[in-house]
Amino acid sequence: MDISIHEYKRVGVVTVGGRIDGSTSPKLETELKELMKAGKKNIILDMSAVDFMSSSCLRVMLTTRKSLMGKGGRIVLADPSQRVTDTLDIAGIDVLFDVFPDREAAVASF
Amino acid sequence: MLNEPRIFPGRFEHIEAICDLVDRAAKIAEFDDSTSYACQLAVGEACENIICHGYKDDDNGEIEVIVRAEPGELTIELQDSARPFDPTSVPVPDVKSGMEDKVGGLGLPIIHRVMDEVEYSRHGRKNRLTLRKRCTSD
Repeated sequence: MDISIHEYKRVGVVTVGGRIDGSTSPKLETELKELMKAGKKNIILDMSAVDFMSSSCLRVMLTTRKSLMGKGGRIVLADPSQRVTDTLDIAGIDVLFDVFPDREAAVASF
Repeated sequence: MLNEPRIFPGRFEHIEAICDLVDRAAKIAEFDDSTSYACQLAVGEACENIICHGYKDDDNGEIEVIVRAEPGELTIELQDSARPFDPTSVPVPDVKSGMEDKVGGLGLPIIHRVMDEVEYSRHGRKNRLTLRKRCTSD
């Protein structure tokens, strides 16, 4: 799994790629918690380069979503890969995340 | 390669190799990329369950994998020596209910949504989970 963080004034962008499963999702969880600890209430997950996503990643995304909503913020997805879309659809939680075609559109939504 | 039992250490970092095995078998089954991915996802979830809930802190556990494929059908057998656990006896939660508060418990629904058959049996001191997917190209 590759991960990089970019912090903007109103939003933190987490760009993640590769395989996100039980062995790598703890790293994603740590990075998301760090962003929230730094005061970010809005987070964009850029998932264009994700080629596998297990339910352990979904759990991290849902936990983050819940925490951010409690603070009046939200987490959205930018340019999710087909594999990400498939996983969300199979798990039946696709409706819980706003999806934007690219990072710019996602940033503009805040 | 296929039909022969393969033994993998019961640790997260080895699930990718098990998924690769499923992907190769899915090609023999003539599944499209999306169906192959769904099968890999389901098998990955089953393995994560064995590691998380079966072996827990035991780093020495193993997962034995047998994959069988023929055009239109893919069968994966996962065998482990963790404590007895029948995932088919657990009610599959309705993912649509309580969705807003949901943060976990998604693995089993994924397995059941993807696979056509999910069977559990106990053999001696081992759990065996058999997952079967049928898919025709027409």
